[in-house]
Amino acid sequence: MGGIFTAEFPPNWRVPLRAWTNAFVDRLVDDYSAAFDRVSSALLYVLGLIERGLLALPWWIIALALAALVWHATGRRWLGGVAVLVALVLVGGFGLWPQTVTTLALMVLASTACIVIGVPLGILMSRSSAFKAFLRPALDLMQTMPSFVYLVPVVMFFRLGNVSALFATIVYAIPPVIRLTDLGLRSVDRSMVEAAETAGADEVQVLRYVRLPLALPTIAAGVNQTIMLALSMVVLASMIGARGLGQEVLRGLNRGDVGLSLEAGLAIVLLAVILDRVTAGYGRRLDPDAEERG
Amino acid sequence: MHGRAGRILAALSLAASLALVTPAAQAQSQDCGGLERAVVFGELDWESAQVATWIARNVLAAGFGCETAAIPGTIVPLYQGAIRGDVDVIMEVWTDNTPTQWTDAFAEGVVEHAGVAFDDAVQGWYVPRYLVEGDPERGIDPAAPDLRSVFDIPRYKELFRDPERPDKGRFYNCVVGWQCELVNGVKLHAYGLDDDLTNFKAGTGVALAAELEGAYRRGDPWLGYYWGPTWVLGQLDLYMLAEPPFTQECWDAFTALVDRPEEAEVACAYPTSTAVVGIGSRFIEDAPGPVRAFLDAYHGNSAMLSRALAYMHVNDATPEEAARNFLATEPEVWRQWVEPQTAARVAAAFGAP
Repeated sequence: MGGIFTAEFPPNWRVPLRAWTNAFVDRLVDDYSAAFDRVSSALLYVLGLIERGLLALPWWIIALALAALVWHATGRRWLGGVAVLVALVLVGGFGLWPQTVTTLALMVLASTACIVIGVPLGILMSRSSAFKAFLRPALDLMQTMPSFVYLVPVVMFFRLGNVSALFATIVYAIPPVIRLTDLGLRSVDRSMVEAAETAGADEVQVLRYVRLPLALPTIAAGVNQTIMLALSMVVLASMIGARGLGQEVLRGLNRGDVGLSLEAGLAIVLLAVILDRVTAGYGRRLDPDAEERG
Repeated sequence: MHGRAGRILAALSLAASLALVTPAAQAQSQDCGGLERAVVFGELDWESAQVATWIARNVLAAGFGCETAAIPGTIVPLYQGAIRGDVDVIMEVWTDNTPTQWTDAFAEGVVEHAGVAFDDAVQGWYVPRYLVEGDPERGIDPAAPDLRSVFDIPRYKELFRDPERPDKGRFYNCVVGWQCELVNGVKLHAYGLDDDLTNFKAGTGVALAAELEGAYRRGDPWLGYYWGPTWVLGQLDLYMLAEPPFTQECWDAFTALVDRPEEAEVACAYPTSTAVVGIGSRFIEDAPGPVRAFLDAYHGNSAMLSRALAYMHVNDATPEEAARNFLATEPEVWRQWVEPQTAARVAAAFGAP
């Protein structure tokens, strides 16, 4: 056979993306490590403050504070707060308190970073359709590219540890807050905007006093989704050196110790439930229609 | 519906198993000692075992005219396959930390051990060699010229500064959950390094390798545990820090303390580990004499395997290509495993001198 009817893909059509990528990563590591180091130490300083602060507090203060937060966010329902308190004591009883606090610190920093970076990007995206056309495929890529692909280069730049973990978490978790900020701002009722403009508001004022307040419930839903995604990265983050609950899940996996994995996994679920109830609860309060809908 | 799906599945799996039975090389100069089926290798899911599998497959094909096949898999199913007779040869059976299913079957004579996969597997605490001896070619001065043993680490702990705990150095322990993680934890205490080093745990072997490779490329200090045969030890020039010499009594005493490292007062170096070639139950019966003689004479070492793994890493090569490269470039090693006329056929097939 041969010619055009062969099943074989033309061998000289080979695209050497693999070689290009590897050479590019090597160049980056060789030439730009000093810059990466500076980014790295700044982030570590902040994370260290949060983690040391939380670990210095007595355990029951944190547990009570989280329970109170859930109680308040869910509209002062007692059941949620008490259930969270009991579950936190149970996690302490698994011997996983320090790990839980460490993971909580990483989640707080990662979520804050996602919001600080994501909301402005979402605003830009809602203002400019060209920017949206550029950012959308990038967000698709971030959400679907298997994390293992970029974990290794991230480790080579930022070294093993919390910074790499933070970076990987942000890449994976940030798309919802960007997308929903954009969606919220774009779906604000035209007539409200026109009314403000008639009253003489300039563009910044319209954004600040009309669009953003009306979009807040949608943005809050994005923040909630982002935090949930960040928590789902805990185990993966531990593969590149983040301490905390993820490391205990991995230890259980590597040893075939199902019980240990389950205890740490349950603690991650608990953190997820707490953060979900808190952000969803406050998000619902921002929605002026929520009261009527119940 | 169910029957049709089942037939399709059966056809697919038959096609898959046929695809696996391929002659590893074209030189069919002998009849494999009269064996009328393929020699089935259990191909374990890590690279040193895969390279060794391809070395043996290529020698059997080119030197003896055997058909060979490989079943890829993880330890437990492949060991089970060897015990049942579905798998003929496993090229890397570790003699310590072996699952009891294998040790029991070996004790009963169901499976056998043939040659040596390697008997010099190393584990230890390493720093890059340039840190101690410098590297004039890369313009690196020795930052720790007197770093010889684990007891010299406190003098140089600044070099290994842990960005997350700047008052301490960082010790890169092995993968979390592995036995070596606990053993190194005991050693850190017994060597009096608790106050100088943080016990940092990588989550996976890949991440640990990426970290070490990144530091090595930058010429940075790095201190941690590593093991061979791995591409890392084949490619990067590392310096093993001295520890008190291994003795069985010392080892048994301090490894008993993995759950309470704070009680350990002395510790010592890792022993070198051995892995052998495992022979499955059916192949014990029907392996042709010359083939079995080759598998008995097989004697690899971790330096040769680490070189092959580094070849894979540098050239983005497959285990098969690394095995061919080994056969072409290191005949002085493999010629000792076979008769001269067999060696001549292998050398001709792979262009070895």
